Amino acid sequence: MRGTRRWLRLLAGILVLAGLGALIVDPQGVVTAAQLTLLAAFSTARMVVAYLVALVFAIGYGYAAATRRKAAVFLLPLLDILQSIPILGFFPAALIFFVATFHGHPVGIEFAVVFLIFTSMAWNMAFGVYESLTTIPQDLEAAAAAFGLRGWLRFRYLSFPAAITKLIYNSVLSWTNGWFFLVASEVFSAGGTEFQRPGLGAYIAVAGRNGDATAILGGIGVLAAVVLALDIFLWRPLSVWSERFRMDVAAGREIPRVASPYERFRWIPRFPRARRQAAVWLRPVVAGYHRLSGRLERVYAAHPKVLIEIRRIDLAMFLVVFVIVVSTGLLGLGRMFLRPLPVDAQFLPSATALSFVRLLVAYGIAVAWTIPVAVLLGESQRASRLLAPVLELFASLPATALLPVIVGFSVFVAASFGRFGQPAQLAAILVALFSMQWYLLFNLIAGVRAIPEDLRQAARSFGLRGRTYWKRVLLPAITPSLLTGSITAWGAGWNALIVSEYIQYAGQVFEVLGLGSLLNHAVYPTPDNDLLILTIMTMIVVVLAMNKLLWRPLTRRATLRYRLEV
Amino acid sequence: MKDVTKSFFENGKEFKVLEPLRFGLAERDFVCVVGPSGCGKSTLLRIIVGLEPPTSGQVLFEGQPIRADNPQVAMVFQSFALFPWLTVQQNVELGLEAKGTHPEERQRIARKFIEAVGLTGFEDAYPRELSGGMKQRVGIARALGIEPLLLCMDEPFSSLDPLTAQNLRDEILQLWSNPDLPPRAVLMVTHAIEEAVYMADRVIVLSSRPGRMVAELSIDLPRPRNRKEPEFYGWVDEIYSLIV
Amino acid sequence: MSNSHENVGRAVAVADFRSMAKVSVGQVLGLVEAIDEVGGVADVATISQEVDMDLDRLGPVLAAAEFLGLLTVEDGDVRMTDLSRKLLSASVRERKAILRRVIDDIPVFRMVLDAARQARRPLERQEVLDSIAARAGSHQAEDLFKALVYWGRYVELVQYDSRAEQLRLRSPSK
Repeated sequence: MRGTRRWLRLLAGILVLAGLGALIVDPQGVVTAAQLTLLAAFSTARMVVAYLVALVFAIGYGYAAATRRKAAVFLLPLLDILQSIPILGFFPAALIFFVATFHGHPVGIEFAVVFLIFTSMAWNMAFGVYESLTTIPQDLEAAAAAFGLRGWLRFRYLSFPAAITKLIYNSVLSWTNGWFFLVASEVFSAGGTEFQRPGLGAYIAVAGRNGDATAILGGIGVLAAVVLALDIFLWRPLSVWSERFRMDVAAGREIPRVASPYERFRWIPRFPRARRQAAVWLRPVVAGYHRLSGRLERVYAAHPKVLIEIRRIDLAMFLVVFVIVVSTGLLGLGRMFLRPLPVDAQFLPSATALSFVRLLVAYGIAVAWTIPVAVLLGESQRASRLLAPVLELFASLPATALLPVIVGFSVFVAASFGRFGQPAQLAAILVALFSMQWYLLFNLIAGVRAIPEDLRQAARSFGLRGRTYWKRVLLPAITPSLLTGSITAWGAGWNALIVSEYIQYAGQVFEVLGLGSLLNHAVYPTPDNDLLILTIMTMIVVVLAMNKLLWRPLTRRATLRYRLEV
Repeated sequence: MKDVTKSFFENGKEFKVLEPLRFGLAERDFVCVVGPSGCGKSTLLRIIVGLEPPTSGQVLFEGQPIRADNPQVAMVFQSFALFPWLTVQQNVELGLEAKGTHPEERQRIARKFIEAVGLTGFEDAYPRELSGGMKQRVGIARALGIEPLLLCMDEPFSSLDPLTAQNLRDEILQLWSNPDLPPRAVLMVTHAIEEAVYMADRVIVLSSRPGRMVAELSIDLPRPRNRKEPEFYGWVDEIYSLIV
Repeated sequence: MSNSHENVGRAVAVADFRSMAKVSVGQVLGLVEAIDEVGGVADVATISQEVDMDLDRLGPVLAAAEFLGLLTVEDGDVRMTDLSRKLLSASVRERKAILRRVIDDIPVFRMVLDAARQARRPLERQEVLDSIAARAGSHQAEDLFKALVYWGRYVELVQYDSRAEQLRLRSPSK
């Protein structure tokens, strides 16, 4: 521990010296660095606030859906729909609403941005809580009931710990998602006005519009550093910690660990000493939690009826809000269909088809390169040691932050094709690719690693090699993880449409026909609410249809056929 | 001294997991319910503990209908049902905490029962660090910790290997022979007939689905019982013939 | 038939302390009880049948019991010892005391316990692993450590915090 402190002191000293040196050599650079640090702090603060709200929401929502059968009837389908809504689609509406609420004060934009990030984080975390609560072993539930765990005590000792593993795992995904939308939302035009809040995302976007390469790369570099630092110092330790809440003591036999869900963090060192030091620092927090728990428990014991009343009231309130929202929504829709359809609505079918094809192309490219790479990384320790950190570094960057680079690249490539070059098309596909490919890659690596050694050896002993090995062993074994990755990847792809089909770069607008650009048009330059709603609804319908008609049946078949029994 | 009695009536309609059945449990009774798998033994136990309501009829405990969180009835599970994120000590204290016992008192009682099941030294271990037999000992210490009048055990030995199971059976009987320790009565469900004859004062035999009470036998063999004696086998054979 | 018994006997005789990591107290005591029940001596095949465990699973238990001096295995015959007779008639606390003396004498345990006594501070898991590896080879250090913690806890000689990964000594209760 003393060693750690000495190192920290040394590090701080070096940083101060380097800072002073830089100040003398390049004062302008130092100002920029300080400015970037401040912007990074702003952006991170937004992420943290949105995450905390999402955490509370996820626990509450997931808990309600899992424990109240009546509520689950509408809570679950609602979550399903919420998950399919392209988040950026309703961002303009939210932005205008929040800005109006705060009478144009910038706080309104701040709320809107945090709200957007929240929506990109909350749903999958809520599902995680719901799933873990509904898969608690029956006997453990029975034991909790038989030993009189009720109310807060039950939540503290059964529900909450049971949800932690999945919650943290999904939090890591949500956090990645959050960066994507943070970068997209710090600068946004809606209703003919441009809204901007200081942050790394805005910095990169503005640099992109001005075509300032140094600023673009500097911003992306700082963003990558922040994302990685948080992965190393926050998410990795949290993931390690959450492992202890795993249910692996079923019936006295330890279930063998298949693949750690924290594939992404494998290469990061564990820092055991620093971890222990952090545990010491966190002790007051833990003690506080337990004290508070004790107090809550006493309150519950003293007034058992009060809590039941609260539950009844909050459920009733939720129902009322739900009914109001649904009925106003339906009313609005009905009124909309009474009016003549907006002119641009005629583009909806072709826009949907074009967007879909673009995503399909991006998906095809992603599958084509991620499968071999995943097999290489999953089967060779050495390749994994060398390549994983590099891939991690790229994956840590949200596709939105790469927008300027991608467009610049597309312009460059398209130029070499002369008249046939279409930089906007290429950029749209590349942005979709960058949004989709990492989900595939990391799921596939986990899938390859999960193939039991026995199976591999059996295949080898029967002389399976080359194409037969791929066809009979590898591909079937990774099918389930390919599906899981595909579902997430497509979700991300739909969301990326809005940023990929309408890009401002170096004073130009790069635009292609698609659902995303239609959405942009509905907001700006010619605001049209009906078109906005129609486009969003089309997207929701397509996403839901793909989930229900394609992914769900495929997943069901795959789990039946290709599950690796342990 | 209270007299523990229990009556049980049940009328299954659609599924008929259990035919109407009725029995009582008295002070210092060690009763085993045996029957082929799927005869509703475990359902019966869950109803008795109050985890599931009976379709009809009722379970009375000292004249009152039973409730799941009744601290006078404790349960031991086949799968141990330990909380993986709590230490041995915390697992044992759990029921006491729910009862609202003072922390220091809770600690003292938990230590006493951890000692009784031979787990002193493992207080700060987590379930995953224990062998199967030790996990079940924690389950038993946790059940005894709330000082129940009635202890219900659902196939407590069937997920253990034979050696561990036999060792644990003997230790439970040793605990049971100490009248200073709870409980006042034990109700155990098992599919192993030898186990029932080895441990119980009375054996209730259920038929296969729907469960129906075939016989109620008092095993009057002296303790400790030797599984090699012909009398022992006489009982085992008799029960086998009742079930088949 | 008799040939296979001999093989089992020899295999058990050369088995070492490592088997302690694979078996539990309950299994060892259960085995001793089972042998007592059939009269204190039996051949391995009979025991295997008696306790309904195949030799794969029974082997380590036999080896551990022999290692602790609770059984002797000769020509496939397993025999109880004075120590195990004493153990069977003892209470839980006395059992722990008896096994404590045995375990305290095992060289690897001795080494770690002495180190802990001298250090006067909790030992890190890694330190203990390193010192075991230096003595017994790194390939079995993990197993030995697991056995050390498990049996050490049982006889109330050590305390181990698996979260902080620290091992310390404790004094047996009463």
